[in-house]
Amino acid sequence: MEFSEHIKTANVEDVVLRQPLHPPSRGTLCITGHHLLFSDREQGSGRKVLLLLLRNVDAIEKSVENLLAHSGPFCTEGLSQRMSGSSGTITIKCKDLRVLHLDIPGMEQSLNIARSIETLSCLDGVSEMYPFFYRPSGVGLQDQWGLSSPEKHYSQMRELHDRWRLSTVNRDYRVCPSYPPAVIVPKHAGDDVLEKAAKFRQGGRFPVLCYYHRKNGMVIMRSSQPLTGANGKRCMEDEHLLRAVIDGSDRGFVIDTRSGQQALQARMTGGGFESKSCYSSWKRLHRQMERGKALQESLIKLVEACGDQSHNMDRWLSKLENSKWLSHVQTALSTAGLLAECVERDGHSVLVHGSEGTDSTLLISTLAQLIMDPWARTLEGFLALLEREWVQAGHPFRQRCAHSAYSHARLQQESPVFLLLLDCVWQLWRQFPLALGFSEALLLRLATEAYASDYGTFLCSSHQERCALGVTDNTHCLFRALLRPRERDCYSNPLYEPTELAIWPSVHPQALQLWRGFFLRWTPQARHLEEAQEEIRNMVTEWGKLALSRCPESTQRREDVQPEHVEHLRRDTTQVQ
Amino acid sequence: MASPVSVYNSSPLAPHISSMSRESVKMELLADVALLPGEERIIDKDIIYICPFNGAVKGKVLITKYRLHFKSSDADVVMALDIPLCAISRVEKMGGASSRGENSYGLDITCKDMRNLRFALKQEGHSRRDIFELLFKHAFPLSHGLPLFAYVTQEKYATEGWDIYKPMEEFRRQGLPNDKWRIVFNKSYELCDTYPTVLAVPYKSSDDDLKRVAAFRSRGRIPVLSWIHRENQAVIVRCSQPLVGMSGKRNKDDERYLDVIREANDTAKLTIYDARPSVNAVANKATGGGYEGDEYQNAELVFLDIQNIHVMRESLKKLKDIVYPNVEESHWLSSLESTHWLEHIKLVLSGAIQVADKVSSGNSVVVHCSDGWDRTAQLTSLAMLMLDSHYRTLRGFQVLIEKEWISFGHKFASRIGHGDKNHADQDRSPVFLQFIDCVWQMTKQFPTAFEFNERLLLTILDHLYSCRFGTFLYNCQSAREQHDVRSKTESLWSLVNSRMEMYLNPFYTPESGRVLYPVASMRHLELWVTYYIRWNPRIRQQQQSPVEQRYMELLALRDEYLKKLEALQLSDSPSSQLANAANTSSSPPPQQYTQLQTPL
Repeated sequence: MEFSEHIKTANVEDVVLRQPLHPPSRGTLCITGHHLLFSDREQGSGRKVLLLLLRNVDAIEKSVENLLAHSGPFCTEGLSQRMSGSSGTITIKCKDLRVLHLDIPGMEQSLNIARSIETLSCLDGVSEMYPFFYRPSGVGLQDQWGLSSPEKHYSQMRELHDRWRLSTVNRDYRVCPSYPPAVIVPKHAGDDVLEKAAKFRQGGRFPVLCYYHRKNGMVIMRSSQPLTGANGKRCMEDEHLLRAVIDGSDRGFVIDTRSGQQALQARMTGGGFESKSCYSSWKRLHRQMERGKALQESLIKLVEACGDQSHNMDRWLSKLENSKWLSHVQTALSTAGLLAECVERDGHSVLVHGSEGTDSTLLISTLAQLIMDPWARTLEGFLALLEREWVQAGHPFRQRCAHSAYSHARLQQESPVFLLLLDCVWQLWRQFPLALGFSEALLLRLATEAYASDYGTFLCSSHQERCALGVTDNTHCLFRALLRPRERDCYSNPLYEPTELAIWPSVHPQALQLWRGFFLRWTPQARHLEEAQEEIRNMVTEWGKLALSRCPESTQRREDVQPEHVEHLRRDTTQVQ
Repeated sequence: MASPVSVYNSSPLAPHISSMSRESVKMELLADVALLPGEERIIDKDIIYICPFNGAVKGKVLITKYRLHFKSSDADVVMALDIPLCAISRVEKMGGASSRGENSYGLDITCKDMRNLRFALKQEGHSRRDIFELLFKHAFPLSHGLPLFAYVTQEKYATEGWDIYKPMEEFRRQGLPNDKWRIVFNKSYELCDTYPTVLAVPYKSSDDDLKRVAAFRSRGRIPVLSWIHRENQAVIVRCSQPLVGMSGKRNKDDERYLDVIREANDTAKLTIYDARPSVNAVANKATGGGYEGDEYQNAELVFLDIQNIHVMRESLKKLKDIVYPNVEESHWLSSLESTHWLEHIKLVLSGAIQVADKVSSGNSVVVHCSDGWDRTAQLTSLAMLMLDSHYRTLRGFQVLIEKEWISFGHKFASRIGHGDKNHADQDRSPVFLQFIDCVWQMTKQFPTAFEFNERLLLTILDHLYSCRFGTFLYNCQSAREQHDVRSKTESLWSLVNSRMEMYLNPFYTPESGRVLYPVASMRHLELWVTYYIRWNPRIRQQQQSPVEQRYMELLALRDEYLKKLEALQLSDSPSSQLANAANTSSSPPPQQYTQLQTPL
């Protein structure tokens, strides 16, 4: 397909751009297959003011000066003059919650532009999306893609090898279309068992290991719901698989992210839960987590409240409460806390699932890992965790992040589960400002990239789909890019101090805050805070540099004299980094 | 097995009670209370503290001339309470000798600092009579002809806090006097008995003019200069309402006086900010007050809609209801909204922003409310904090409080009710607390702009009630002089400035000349949880915020490097090479930094 057929007007002069945090500017607007470009005319050299990925556009509203209305009885001007005098305003609401206005001279031009943006912002074909065209200089496509893989994960954890194995039963995605080709399972469960168990789980998502707690050898498993149906069907292999998970210890827990009632109802449509009689050593805990549409509607309400320009703000707190977003944050964090408590405090293995096992399940298993696992709290560890638990584990990014809070399109399978995760991580970051190795900027970046990106990381919904479309061969990897030296500087937490301890978040309503950095990102106040954080970051890195650039150089020659001393210096220096 | 099943909400965090070794309990129970010099024991007694969070705790209470101290005697429960007697607003008997039920007989204590304490005693033998009477007497010394503790304490400090604010020095810092503004002395408080002695007024106005203006302003609180903008010479002037009354009286001298203020920096219009809602300003005419009408040419009047002291008091009461002892969790945000506390904070802040904005754009302003000692003080001091970076330093902030609040007669004694038993007094109101809350909101929005930290704000509020220092005693300067506050009591700033490092914000980056405009939208205001909910054990109490602490460690680390660098550079010079090599190798190993406690 040619993008050009969607572009009737590619360039318009004399456009006024109004965007948050900047004064309005006049310049040239240009539409390409993937971008909206705006360059400032008054700055002389045609400075680029805005480069917006069209994929980032969530909704577009246009208002044009209606020609007919003007040709009424009071109109005495010539037609041509009115034509040239007519203009349109396009309001672009982005998935990163930014709202832009473009005043475009000429009605037809503005309609053309609007139409192009509308069409190009929601192209369906994955391989037509920008990540397939993005070719930054200095980086080759041959570079390694991704940070982690089940194979690597397995080989890194030697402790696992006694009781767990890497199974490639899903190598051709036949057993479970949304799983990666390799998964970690109990050693005592053969591939035949897995295949049968997969048939008993929705979407074939049989229980697999996602986290091994080194301190006590307990694990977190995740899956989808068992397909017991109304008649209470059983599957010996599934029961065997779960028995192999706890292997002799007295009991494990199943955390079901649905209420007991919901789980019961699921049986009517073929789903179900692990009944006590069949899974005697597993104890079920139900925690109802909001999902799907309800979550999306909550986001829409919240963003609406945040963007309310009316002066009457005295209902703000009620609106915030009514959006229920913070209560979703609370539920997610407290369920993750429950999960971590089972594993870390009480020493039990846990299986997590809801119905499909691709949303809330991933949300709480990820949060629980952040609570317990010091490695997951490092920059690399966190990105690898996201890659494993979201990208490879088959969170359907393509459907969930198709639209954000502004879209007028009818809701389909959109749901801001990943955004909710980032919000919860932000709450952790706020409550434990030293315990996480990454910064708020990283979370903001991820929140943007999940919806519209230059990179291929969040394209598609499963490993299978990504392979079929050649995502890893034809796009760049976001996680790799975020770890390049310059990015690493900006995304790491300068005050980070690793701790081996679990970090237990407080989930009381007064301990949770609206993530202003994201939801009120485009208001001036967020800028002060960004500036202040930037300042703090600079201060800390300056000292680091000071220590690095000057000390080793001057100590080099003294190495023979005071090796011990230099050693001290080196060790301290790495601490500051 | 119980715990994973239990609701996770019952926070596993911040254990209020933790186990403690038995040996230490054997020690004299209350021996570890560090009493202040001059602080004498009054009574101690076995008692049961009915903790709203952990249930009844047996222990011993000690009452001194300054404090109530409680310590658990149970070996497994470590709990201590420490509260200055003057922070108590009300002491009541709870239950009677024949009351049924466990722990139903005792004392119920309401405090000014957002908490209530309940103690139970044995029901026989009038066991509470003596403690109740002593507590009642010493918590409200002024109602019993006793001196406040500030006059009793023998504390001595290395720094003299009373010297922090010298009016003439402060005026000179602002560039005054100059050809438009002169300094006059309110000698023997003749011009105005609630003003300070040193005032800045328009150069053109004679002493007689001032007297005539004073006659037309409520309680003689004439318009005087609080702050002048160095570059554009625009000023913040404060005063009380004009005595217009029902008949709509005019006073040519007052009109002329305000016009002289406008002329001083040659602007077309003077803006008068009346802090009240316009309805209240109109209503004040009935009692002889009012506001500037159209007769004031070249002036515009703006009402800022800030409610009066009674509304604020009720709002704080509602806030206390939802946070103490238990936080209203199920509808937290809408409950918070229904207290209107943040809304009041918003109005005060946005009023101050308007004042600051007018002044920085070169227009002089006059600020008043009714008497000019509550809302006016909030507005002028907050506007000055936004405009002048000097007031954002540790010392400058002390000057700001001394100047705009203490010297200009904010009625601390009436608003707080120091040492007074009338807990229901209608004059009490959390006006100053509201100001400190606004400052806290600003420090949240500009984390690098203030030299002081949250601990300073907490310390100020604690001693606002404690009566350990003379700083916040009495209603005005003349009363303070009459009671020899300066010579007979210590200043709070003596304490603060003798351990300044505790109150410094490590992220402070001085930036003079920048005007701070906080966002006064509800979306950006937060409840000051670490003040209002600090007694709740579920609120993570941190002696120092971990970020701050980490930053301090990094600072120390940097100094360490610099020192090493210096040492190495020295040892690089050939002449001293040998000596230094020996020297450095024997130097102490790099400082060990204690592991940072993850707040669990």
